[in-house]
Amino acid sequence: MIQVRLAAPRRAARITVLVLGAAVLRTLLLPAGDLVSTATFGACLLAISWRERGRSSSEPHWGRGRALAAGLATGAVLLVPVAAMPLSGRAISAFWEWAAIAAVIATLEETAIRGALYQRWTEEAGPAVAIVAGAVVFALIHLPRYGFGAMPPDAAVGLALGGLRALTGRVLPCAVAHTVADWGAWFWA
Amino acid sequence: MMPTRRVGLVALALGLMAAALLHTRSARPLYDGIVVPPEPYRWESPPPNLKAGNKPPLSGEVILPVQNGQVAGGGPQTGDNQVIMFFGPGFFKAPAGAQAVKCTIEPEANPPAAPSGIDIRGNVYRINCVGQPGDGPVTIAAMYHLTMRFPPGAFKEIQYNGGSGWRALPTLRSGGGDPYASVNAPGFGEYAATAPTGAPGDSIVTILGRYLEFYGILAFVIIFGVIAIIQEIRRRRHQQPTTPRKKT
Repeated sequence: MIQVRLAAPRRAARITVLVLGAAVLRTLLLPAGDLVSTATFGACLLAISWRERGRSSSEPHWGRGRALAAGLATGAVLLVPVAAMPLSGRAISAFWEWAAIAAVIATLEETAIRGALYQRWTEEAGPAVAIVAGAVVFALIHLPRYGFGAMPPDAAVGLALGGLRALTGRVLPCAVAHTVADWGAWFWA
Repeated sequence: MMPTRRVGLVALALGLMAAALLHTRSARPLYDGIVVPPEPYRWESPPPNLKAGNKPPLSGEVILPVQNGQVAGGGPQTGDNQVIMFFGPGFFKAPAGAQAVKCTIEPEANPPAAPSGIDIRGNVYRINCVGQPGDGPVTIAAMYHLTMRFPPGAFKEIQYNGGSGWRALPTLRSGGGDPYASVNAPGFGEYAATAPTGAPGDSIVTILGRYLEFYGILAFVIIFGVIAIIQEIRRRRHQQPTTPRKKT
């Protein structure tokens, strides 16, 4: 038990560094094009989640349907202020392919941050620290692409998604809410 | 309610409230993945095949203060981001007595014809700055920066018409396939993206490269997504407890 306690902070910190490292790598690869940088970022997140896949949480969790509804509702609430902006006018016919990519990347971010990273930090320092750590990492990984101005709202969204993870005990609603919020960019950004 | 869930509920509520409060018009949703494609070009006079669904281009306007005859710096742009001006303090000189300067960017409904051998690609924009009150002429002390979006198809350079005919300007095209180009603008007047008449649009290699980039990412996420799902299903199957057999 003592060994587990001592080992956990190192592991939580290591996952945190790995996720941030993936974002740094993505930034460094941006000159090589969106294909290379996004694919590398996605592969890194997948590898992190994969490495931690065996660590299933014993915490009670909501049923799949209820969790899905919570994710959809959270995503809809995140879109409320955005929906006040004028519509972008992008063609719906081109939406689906872009939406598939955005959904996969959003889901990979959630499995890495609200999945692996949240789990490790919860084991070490409790859910409150895990939620805050996830929110900070979430804001930091978006910093290179969207600048400092996007950090406060991204940290707030990260806080909400971390809260959703703790409330439902699942990553699924976080991935759904994140994806719904991303999809809004097509119509309003 | 369990402590973890209570913490979660509080964080969720705080996060949603903070996200709504911190949201501004300039903020955007998260949109991970590849860059969102720009919305379709807004034509003043759309080609016949683009008439349906075309939205009219928007104009831009800004009023800037004047101090000691010098106009403050600024960056007016059209509402649809198709034209963006940028100038520093002192780039423009206001007429005597002006307290402010109004700069406008407007799409031209009836632009002057392009020179022979040149096609105007997209809209012609008229850029002007006048002193207020009185609408006196503003003079240019240093060239300002102008960025224009051009529609899909051929593009070579931005041309300027200050009243004595069109002339080409040294043009810097944005990288990464972005449909924008920039010039150091020498004066107020009309600006247009142009290309030689009959110039081909993007080459097949360029178009294929663009598709390869997009569908390459799509293929990547599908392949890795399927692998991840299969592995997860296999892991869950292995984890399922075996039911004890009844002794007979």
